[in-house]
Amino acid sequence: MRFEKYFEPTTVEDCCQILKEHGSDAKILAGGTDIVPRLKNKSWNPIAIIGIGKIPHIDDIVVSKEGLELGAGAQLRKISMDKSLEKDYKVIMEAAGHVSSMQIRNIATIGGNACNASPSADAIQGLMVMDATAVIASSQGTREVPIEDFFTGPGKNVLNEGEILLRFKVPAPKPGTGAVYKKFAIRGDTDISIVGVACRLTLQEDGTIEEARISLAAVAPKPIRVMAAEKALVDKKLTAELIEEIGEIAADICTPISDQRGTAEYRKEMIRVWTRHALKEAKERANAS
Amino acid sequence: MNMEKMKIIITVNDRQHTLFVSPDRTLLEILREELNLIGTKKGCDDSNCGVCTVLMDGMAVKSCTILIPQANGHSITTIEGLERENSLHPLQQSFIDYFAVQCGFCTPAMILTAKAILDENPNASEEDIREGLHGNICRCTGYKKIVEAIEAVRDGEYKESCGGV
Repeated sequence: MRFEKYFEPTTVEDCCQILKEHGSDAKILAGGTDIVPRLKNKSWNPIAIIGIGKIPHIDDIVVSKEGLELGAGAQLRKISMDKSLEKDYKVIMEAAGHVSSMQIRNIATIGGNACNASPSADAIQGLMVMDATAVIASSQGTREVPIEDFFTGPGKNVLNEGEILLRFKVPAPKPGTGAVYKKFAIRGDTDISIVGVACRLTLQEDGTIEEARISLAAVAPKPIRVMAAEKALVDKKLTAELIEEIGEIAADICTPISDQRGTAEYRKEMIRVWTRHALKEAKERANAS
Repeated sequence: MNMEKMKIIITVNDRQHTLFVSPDRTLLEILREELNLIGTKKGCDDSNCGVCTVLMDGMAVKSCTILIPQANGHSITTIEGLERENSLHPLQQSFIDYFAVQCGFCTPAMILTAKAILDENPNASEEDIREGLHGNICRCTGYKKIVEAIEAVRDGEYKESCGGV
């Protein structure tokens, strides 16, 4: 026996009610690619499982003038192949497309990737540099949390008992914006990232950087923004020296661990290298936009 | 404590089944243990190896990490559903002809993943095919023969003898 009760609410209200009743004994099932192996190996032993697939609009992807609304239940592959995201939200498609294999992306969801809160999570890296906001519901109503505050530690997020992540809101980028996510892993996307770097640059017409975002994967207890590097980029043009300097800042700020995929020293070095690559590519995309 | 059973309606290989099963069982377990479709294999059982791949509404998924309620109302294709009346499926025939099978354990999943790749992109390049197969592990062949077998079907070599993908 892996759990005792299974629920399939058809409204957010019902879902929140079930969550409230069961508290920490309940776990939410979206794609199941993280939770099902944990139920099997008994590292998680919830009493109740709440399948959210029947909640209306939970997997919607809606692009409007104001921005993008990305349902928490949207499958990673659906996101990575949605042509309506190609123009303004390519980095979100790209990051979702770098998670594991086709079979996993067909069923795993963006909300699951966020709630699982792995420091090496790839899919959420696009949201990190696009200033996404998480919309969270409970029986008391909804609240919004900026994506960089959503993660609180390895496997931990800001969701309290009784809360569910509903969707992400992403503001439409300004003209002159380019963003990219670079994943570095030995065996391609199926492998867990050694490091990952997401970068967004918004350029003025003369090439001066108006706004910058840099986010790192797999080199801290949670996904992190490199604010010092972002500040150092603003009001400057992206020269070879500046790229070098930003790579140094990112490498200094990250706090990786050593594991079977790489040592802490190696990861720091790779952050320096991949931050440089990401900056160059973000600039190219900004120029082409 | 025994969990309450749940009514599940799934279409498997074009045949609809109504089942009363415990919701903590996986799609893989139901296929193998309730429907006796043992062509779908159980390998690592935690979605790494890919041998449990089936098609759900035409999309390749790993059935070992899908709880049966997630498949409720959906349409599943397993390796048993590919054979035609007078021939094998083109991918089955090409896997035989191109020696893409050694021990055979990964083969049903490889063929279903290959079908998903070609259904989505009939002109898939070698790179597309290899990328698509990333979630399927084969410890015998080294993948070369598998890719060649899929390319042969892509190039229409089996269209006459076995029909389309």
